[in-house]
Amino acid sequence: MGIEIPFDVATIAGPEAGDVAPPEVIGSYISSASRPLLAVGSEMLRDDFFVEIAIEIGKKGIPIAATGHSMKGFVEKGYTENVYYYNLHELTNCLRDPNWKGLDGAGNYDFVIFYGIIYYYASQMLSCLKNFATDPLMRTVSIDRYYHPNARMSFTNIMTRMEEEYKDMLRKLVESIKG
Amino acid sequence: MEELKKGGIFTISDMQNVRINIGEIVEEEEEWEPMGPHPMPRIATLRDWDFKLLNRYKPFYAPVCDMCCLCTYGKCDLTGNKKGACGIRMDAQQARIVLLACLVGCSAHCGHGRHLLHDMINKFGRDVPIDFGPKVDIEAPLTRLVCGIKPKTIGDYDRVFSYVEEQIVQLADALHTGQEGSYMDFESKALHMGMLDSLNKEAADIIQIACYGMPSGFPGDGPDVPFVDVGIGTIDTNKAVIIVIGHNVPPSADIGVFLTENDLEDKVELGGICCTSIDTTRVYKKAKIVSALGRQLRVLRAGIADVVVIDEQCIRADVLELCQRTQSPMIATNDKAMHGLVDRTDDDPDKIVDDLVSGRVPGVIILEPDQVGEVAVRTALQMDKKRRSLKFILSDDEFKYYVNDCILCGGCTLACPNGLRIGEANKSAVAGNIKPLADLFDICVGCGRCEQVCKKHIPIVDVMTKAAYPQLKEEKGRMRIGRGPIWDSEIREVGAPLVLGTIPGIIAPIGCGNYPNGTKDAWLIVKEFAERNYIVTLTGCMAIDCALWKDEEGKTIYEAHHGRFDAGGVLNIGSCVSNAHIHDAAIKVASIFAGRPLRGNYEEIADYILSRVGACGVAWGAMSQKAASIATGFNRLGVPAVVGPHGTKYRRAFMSRPDIKEDWKLIDATDGSEVYVEPGPQDLLVACETVEEALPMMAKLCIRPSDTDRGRSIKLTHYIDLSQKYLSTYPPDWHLFVRTASDLPIATRNELLKKLEDEQDWKIDWKKKKIEEGPIRGYNPSFNPTNLERLIRRKK
Ligand code: SF4
Ligand code: SF4
Ligand code: SF4
Repeated sequence: MGIEIPFDVATIAGPEAGDVAPPEVIGSYISSASRPLLAVGSEMLRDDFFVEIAIEIGKKGIPIAATGHSMKGFVEKGYTENVYYYNLHELTNCLRDPNWKGLDGAGNYDFVIFYGIIYYYASQMLSCLKNFATDPLMRTVSIDRYYHPNARMSFTNIMTRMEEEYKDMLRKLVESIKG
Repeated sequence: MEELKKGGIFTISDMQNVRINIGEIVEEEEEWEPMGPHPMPRIATLRDWDFKLLNRYKPFYAPVCDMCCLCTYGKCDLTGNKKGACGIRMDAQQARIVLLACLVGCSAHCGHGRHLLHDMINKFGRDVPIDFGPKVDIEAPLTRLVCGIKPKTIGDYDRVFSYVEEQIVQLADALHTGQEGSYMDFESKALHMGMLDSLNKEAADIIQIACYGMPSGFPGDGPDVPFVDVGIGTIDTNKAVIIVIGHNVPPSADIGVFLTENDLEDKVELGGICCTSIDTTRVYKKAKIVSALGRQLRVLRAGIADVVVIDEQCIRADVLELCQRTQSPMIATNDKAMHGLVDRTDDDPDKIVDDLVSGRVPGVIILEPDQVGEVAVRTALQMDKKRRSLKFILSDDEFKYYVNDCILCGGCTLACPNGLRIGEANKSAVAGNIKPLADLFDICVGCGRCEQVCKKHIPIVDVMTKAAYPQLKEEKGRMRIGRGPIWDSEIREVGAPLVLGTIPGIIAPIGCGNYPNGTKDAWLIVKEFAERNYIVTLTGCMAIDCALWKDEEGKTIYEAHHGRFDAGGVLNIGSCVSNAHIHDAAIKVASIFAGRPLRGNYEEIADYILSRVGACGVAWGAMSQKAASIATGFNRLGVPAVVGPHGTKYRRAFMSRPDIKEDWKLIDATDGSEVYVEPGPQDLLVACETVEEALPMMAKLCIRPSDTDRGRSIKLTHYIDLSQKYLSTYPPDWHLFVRTASDLPIATRNELLKKLEDEQDWKIDWKKKKIEEGPIRGYNPSFNPTNLERLIRRKK
């Protein structure tokens, strides 16, 4: 894959940087989780398509933490089944604690998918999990159009003119997550 | 009986847990109030209080960098909370960096205050009285609270600064490799630094109010202060223009004096950027506010300044280069920002003006504020003639050339802190639609990083400015000048409604302009809360930015709302140092309304504020180290703050866990019983991703355990309503704040009771419309919440 530049070039944290991976690989990585969580942010609202992708992931049985004001998108589409509003900072604060009871009371998660979140905010939260949610290890991926070195796996940087390719990647990703 | 111990410490046997440290106390001429337990606290004095906060609001760390390179044992890789060669863990290292940021911020305010004090003593002597008129009796709440000093003249601030300076050095010492190793103790030190910082700010503002007669508590002050023009469009470029930048007002004040004395007020525009501009309007009524910090680069690039005068803080490091580009001579007036120029203090003004106008030198240093006015004004008048024909906004042809030249490589986007998609906006402009570029202007924070990486050398900032120029010329806002202290009489009026909750809270938008999505969010925050009868108190760049926007009737938010410290008020308190008056308002509620002793009594007052004063700061574009120390100072006093998403880069937050019951145990001071309470305030420092999320969050953070049922129902109404309006959902935790049916707003009580029954399995007696089972606790109107055992009046 070669070395990728972080979406905000200066976001180089240190020796541990996540891998850039294609949708199928990230999809099967997600499928290996026992309690995955999808954390969605407000950037998802920029196009209906992205909301629908989140809903499709939700329908595969992965609960959704709707952070920022992304909840609006789910309410508009009438999908609130396993969607919970949570502030991302507060959510990450809980995720770092192995004893947290989770959004449904059944315990903490072992895997978080970051999606539709302002780049630098997501990057900081991923940094917290990378550095402090290590025992047991919390695995993280980003499926945004940015390379996130603080996630264990991430898409590459995708320019606006490649929007259709990005949408294809998300479709492939959804297909490859085993429900 | 008192028992004298080493180091001037004695304990009083009848007063459990009270320890008085007299090591630093200088005799007072007048015994105005008995001394409290903690005058001039040292690093460890308030540590118990800090740990109470830190145990509930556990420090949260998000490293920006996983390494440490502070000593030659390193670089050390601390990823995964590993230890460095010196033994420090990642969490402690993050806390250490937070302390470092607070050190820098606190030092900036202390250095500024001390500098101001020197200048003012030189000019006016030590005996300038601190008298803020009939409306303000408690002239310096933080000074009284932290130092135990009631300052009578500006000379009294010598002692205050000496105390702060010593503490700063001790705290800086703790940063050295091989000192502190506990993140909790680093944070306690950061909280101490934050408190010192609040004291610096109060000192600096009090000194300048006293010496320059800035608005305070006299007739015509307070809510009745005059309005001032804001915005690039308000600057009359047919006149000579002087632009002042920074935070320290004396040089700018001298320019105002020179203009007035020489009848030049109509020939020269005096405008400013950042806090110096706010403070200049408090001393020279014809001054204008050009912009907040975020527009500095663009205002300088626009070339409107015939002279630029800088003092200290928040000045671009490349300011001289920018001035040279537009042939604007620069005058540096402060030894903390000299930019490689030659010091010409005490030189003949004729010679200095001649050197500047001829272009022999790009700028000069003049460190004596009273020498700045003449040189700046005379230079501006001559430069105005010379520079009149120069144009710095791109021509139409240049604009077309540049947008056409863009190869959509995306390099600028990767360099941009806000990830702005500039290439695509250029492409639209090529196709004839400049709106996307013009729209980026307000979201751009004006850092210039994009231009440095553009392989085609496109002056991106200039291209955006050109696209937005038609709107920019019309950018004409209005705001009240900084009013300084909240009046004691106002506190008397609103103390009860604030503590009971019927005025739902104080919202304090403060600080810099590193917004995620432009200045309009600043306006929206103020508008939402002012219309809901919160009291909105602003300082610094947010006070400026929210004045740029107008409602349907063409009114700015200041014109649409009164300026009283009362429900629905929108108050410009002043510059960054003035935001000490927001701490002061909360302190005065405890002192004037509740009669709590102030002197040397920080812990008790902070405990009172945390549990009872529904105030919430918002630093939506917090950027600087000063913002870090300011927020930390608010936090130690028990006031929470919300930051924008960039605020997560401060690395540390203070958030509680409402699901951990033990963290929410308070004491009822009436009888010493322990009470588990609802999480109010839930966080002390938290970031939100968007303004839509921040609005309900701020409403939530105004909830306090002391709210009466009526107050709680008002606060809950706003929390639920803002959440529904901006997040399209009920807040998931609203039920946590319900103690009794009368906590619920009457209009929606039945509906909410039904929700509690259906969704939370609460037991409702529908006949009596009462909650029988469910809440964390019942409502007890005489609940007297405290975190401090020593405040228990009578044990059960
Ligand atoms: S201060 Fe400690 S962690 Fe930092 S470089 Fe030195 S040894 Fe390493
Ligand atoms: S100047 Fe504006 S557009 Fe350029 S990098 Fe900075 S914020 Fe982004
Ligand atoms: S870096 Fe320059 S050429 Fe590349 S997209 Fe940005 S403006 Fe265009």
